[in-house]
Amino acid sequence: MDPLEVFKIEAPGEEYGRRKYREVLLDILQDLGLVRSIGKLLVYVDIEKPLFSAYGVMRGHLPPLKVEDVGEVARAEGGYQIKVDDEEHMADLLKVLWATYGREKVEQPDRDILTVSSEVPPNDLVVTDVDQEFRRDLTDALIRIAPEGFRNRRNEMTENSFFFIAAEETLTPSLIEEVKEKIRGMDHA
Amino acid sequence: MLEPVMFTGGIYKHDLVIELVEDLGGYVLQKNVTQSEIILLLLVPSEDMPTLEALVKELRGKLTRAPLAGTEVAVVTPTLAIHHLPHSACDIAEYLRRNGAKSNMLGLARGVGREIAQITEYETDLINEHDAAVFSYGNFARCIIEKDRLYRNITVPVVVTGGPEIDPQLLPYAYRYVSAVGRIAHRSRKASELEMLDRIVEAVGSALDKNRSDIEKDPLTTSPPRVMDAVREQVPELEMSFSPLPIALNLNGCRVKLPYEDFHQAVERVTFDEGVTLGEIAQVKPSRMKSYILVRILPMSETGFVF
Repeated sequence: MDPLEVFKIEAPGEEYGRRKYREVLLDILQDLGLVRSIGKLLVYVDIEKPLFSAYGVMRGHLPPLKVEDVGEVARAEGGYQIKVDDEEHMADLLKVLWATYGREKVEQPDRDILTVSSEVPPNDLVVTDVDQEFRRDLTDALIRIAPEGFRNRRNEMTENSFFFIAAEETLTPSLIEEVKEKIRGMDHA
Repeated sequence: MLEPVMFTGGIYKHDLVIELVEDLGGYVLQKNVTQSEIILLLLVPSEDMPTLEALVKELRGKLTRAPLAGTEVAVVTPTLAIHHLPHSACDIAEYLRRNGAKSNMLGLARGVGREIAQITEYETDLINEHDAAVFSYGNFARCIIEKDRLYRNITVPVVVTGGPEIDPQLLPYAYRYVSAVGRIAHRSRKASELEMLDRIVEAVGSALDKNRSDIEKDPLTTSPPRVMDAVREQVPELEMSFSPLPIALNLNGCRVKLPYEDFHQAVERVTFDEGVTLGEIAQVKPSRMKSYILVRILPMSETGFVF
């Protein structure tokens, strides 16, 4: 599935709002770098109720980032040396190494070099769970996208899809089911 | 008649501009220094404009008309959250500023949503201290129509901006509705977006003109710039105010940015050449903005004279 291969918005009675919401959505998803990770996005806004809902399908599952993914691990005197390629993950990497080996066994002789005084190789340690980070960013994006006054929210996330609904009034099971039905209709249209 | 203009130029010899304006009987409303550049907001007698223009040309500066100079405009958003700020509201505020107005951003405490949106009495009073207000709304027509209750009790002209086209009849409490400035998540950079900012400035300008013509029917005892000058001269503590603009002008008075409790008597005692004090020709009361002093000049019908 290509990035945003399916992207539909419905807002009955509000043609201008529908068009504008498309721009707002794309701007926010682009700002947070999420466009490439979403394959399908269906948005239903009912301003009569009023409520906002979005259903999306994510593009594939991202595996957790390991030490060997963020740098080159080499055997060195008394332990291992890691040459970090991507400094973005330096803070997370240090945290993991400190937690695993203890602060006294981890050193940073240079900006992008870390040494570990241990016989246990660090290759398979998980630096960061990219997928979890993506889900956090996605939830943040959905809260930003939904109108601010819609404070009653529900976010259902599965392995590869999400369903988000926000409204001013209380969210009842029947309302949620009704909206899901609408979105299913959009999906099959 | 005084012409509102903005001078932009180098710091070097800018005091010549200030001196000339004062000699001509004009006023310096605001002075902003940004490194080696200076922006002066001036009120200059229209018949003397060629003299000032000649000097500005000599100094290689730029003189532009600032139709909103000497006014304070509130830009109101339902909240200060990322949904309403910074893009459209900041662009509006900045554009108003470029046209000479002093713009204040105001985020309501509970202005969100359609059914639950509210405005407090304090917020209403604070907005009423301005000369005009711009309410920045979103992209859904029904919300914009229903949220007119937020500005129903505001006595200054309210310009409402939002996305869709709406029949002005549906917004009876708005002075003017400007469409095509709804919620956006990027800065205004397209030509069409800049054009709509111009339309807002035009609407605000027309609202202020309406205010001015209302005031002219019963003229103020003296003009706000004159009060500003006198307060600046006779209340030296103003020099110590940390505000970039220690006196903000309104069409019917000004706001002196000093604590009311400590300085209201000093402001009331300010004396004009004609022998009257400010306390006699104006109401000096606490402002809703921080603890500042609000000066409201009384009209001729109440004092019996104009100077």
